[in-house]
Amino acid sequence: MDGVGETRWEGIQPWLSVAARLILAVIWIAAGASKIGDLAASGRAVNAYRLLPYDLAVFLGAVLPFLEIALGVLLLLGLATRLAASVSAVLLATYIGGISSVWVRGLRIDCGCFGGGGDLAAGQQPQYFSETIRDIALLALAGFLAVFARSRFSLDGRLLDGGHHR
Amino acid sequence: MSKRGDQKRANRMVREQLAAERRRTRTTWISVIAALVLVVAAIIGWSVYRSQRPASFAAPAGVTDDGGTQAGIVAAGSGPVTVEVYLDFLCPHCRDFEASTADTLDKLVADKKIRLVWHPLGFLDRATSPAGYSTRAASAAGCAANAGKLSEYGAALFANQPAEGSAGLNDDKLIELGGPVGLNAPSFAQCVRNGTYKSWVGNVNDKAAQRGVNATPTVYVNGKLIEQPTAANLTAAVTAAS
Repeated sequence: MDGVGETRWEGIQPWLSVAARLILAVIWIAAGASKIGDLAASGRAVNAYRLLPYDLAVFLGAVLPFLEIALGVLLLLGLATRLAASVSAVLLATYIGGISSVWVRGLRIDCGCFGGGGDLAAGQQPQYFSETIRDIALLALAGFLAVFARSRFSLDGRLLDGGHHR
Repeated sequence: MSKRGDQKRANRMVREQLAAERRRTRTTWISVIAALVLVVAAIIGWSVYRSQRPASFAAPAGVTDDGGTQAGIVAAGSGPVTVEVYLDFLCPHCRDFEASTADTLDKLVADKKIRLVWHPLGFLDRATSPAGYSTRAASAAGCAANAGKLSEYGAALFANQPAEGSAGLNDDKLIELGGPVGLNAPSFAQCVRNGTYKSWVGNVNDKAAQRGVNATPTVYVNGKLIEQPTAANLTAAVTAAS
């Protein structure tokens, strides 16, 4: 790469990364907040995937919404961005796997991604394609952020580079 | 190159190495703190869930252990074949099921062939605004069961089913619906207002999910799942099980 190109990338990348950070943060906080009101329902939503023993599904149903919100807050602040982006990527890959598995097995469920969940009633159509595409797009953002973790307006930047907004 | 220049460059390299070292240490600490934040969030989630589960709950009259401990309630009959219906008073397909099978089930009860067990669920709590109509209605059904009017009151709840996305019926309306079926006692009204059996409905939800029930209506005849619960299929399944 020539010097000029590198400089231009170094100028743009922190802005791209802050955009990725904020998009992921908003999605995680919205997803978590939609589920914390009814943690028993969240457990039932996980159970409806028919992948895990009931007790484990209930555990994940209670834990995941809070984990999602915590990830969202870390990303919003730009604290431990690389770690938060990596955990996000792992979580999203797991969700994609879960939805794909349901799809392949021909089950008809609501993914429960933003609350709700359970089997669909007759006449309701599964949204596996759009849900998978959405999660793949988010996974791409998380992957980008894990690689290019430096971003504008981040706590990481303040703590590591002494106030330079990088 | 002068010796002074070499000295300066060496000093700068040392400074940069120290700065890089500091940066690494800080990065490690930030990561440790963030990981702790995630772990604590998970622990909070589990604790909140645990604290929301009541240690004990009141169950209405006629409660049964079909499908799990205190997971059902006898709606009618005492025949040899058990017909179990998982229902949500907000679910349109449950109303359709009730409308299309009520006569058949009544006849099977009158012929002393079946015992009809209901599992009133709160699965669609999120589908009203404010949330929670399904659980309130199911709790009110428990109140009706105490006065021996469960199936009559259940039919009234389905006949007056609010739309998904609406506010649902308020407590006054739930009490009012009891009038025509003979639920006029103040104890019924108080039971509805107090949401006396909400925790019991939570138990029904949990036991249903544990059994693998993820939708309503779900129907079992003597423990066997009926995929298409039409009147004809129900009659056939009861005959086969008799």
